[in-house]
Amino acid sequence: MPAIRNQIRDLRAQREMTQQELADRVGVTRQTIIAMEQDKYSPSLETAFKVALTLGVPLEQCFQYEPRGKR
Amino acid sequence: MAASLSYREKTLYASLGAELVVYGPYFFLHQQNSLNKVVGMIIAIIVLQILLQVVIALVSRNRMTDERDRLIELRGYRAGYLTLATLMVVGLGLLWAHAAAGRLSIESHRMGLHFLSVFFGMLVIADITKTATQIVSYRRAL
Repeated sequence: MPAIRNQIRDLRAQREMTQQELADRVGVTRQTIIAMEQDKYSPSLETAFKVALTLGVPLEQCFQYEPRGKR
Repeated sequence: MAASLSYREKTLYASLGAELVVYGPYFFLHQQNSLNKVVGMIIAIIVLQILLQVVIALVSRNRMTDERDRLIELRGYRAGYLTLATLMVVGLGLLWAHAAAGRLSIESHRMGLHFLSVFFGMLVIADITKTATQIVSYRRAL
């Protein structure tokens, strides 16, 4: 599991946005959104900013860094 | 399941299928030692790969690739390269050992074809490793 966790699923649900819509607006595949929501993939900094910008929240509200072993 | 697969995943499954269908009989049905069969096999894999990629491109609405696809691609190439390098070292080591023991007769035409098969087999194994690694990475989300 990556040390970076995220709130994409909740933020997306609040905005009634589908995975495909978010993927299209960010410029990634739907499978990448799925992988991110499952905390199985840590996106690049650029993609992380795009996701936060698309969801209309600051980066730190969307992504959180949790050092390994502290969960 | 096919609907949940990305464009890249579909092409990988097609590529692996084509490799197994074309290379399988060559290696497992002992059709080695024929230059014509090697040439025919190379032509067959090129034609089959082109056909499959065209069909997948036509039926896939979204042909987009992103950073995760590129990361998985690199992971596959790394696994393929390590496999090829390992097989080459082992193969050359065995060749050296046979030559040192005086059990190698390089003069025959058959020996040349044998080496062709061995090195071609190494390339095929490395390529299948690359594709399989990419498929596993997709299935594990990365």
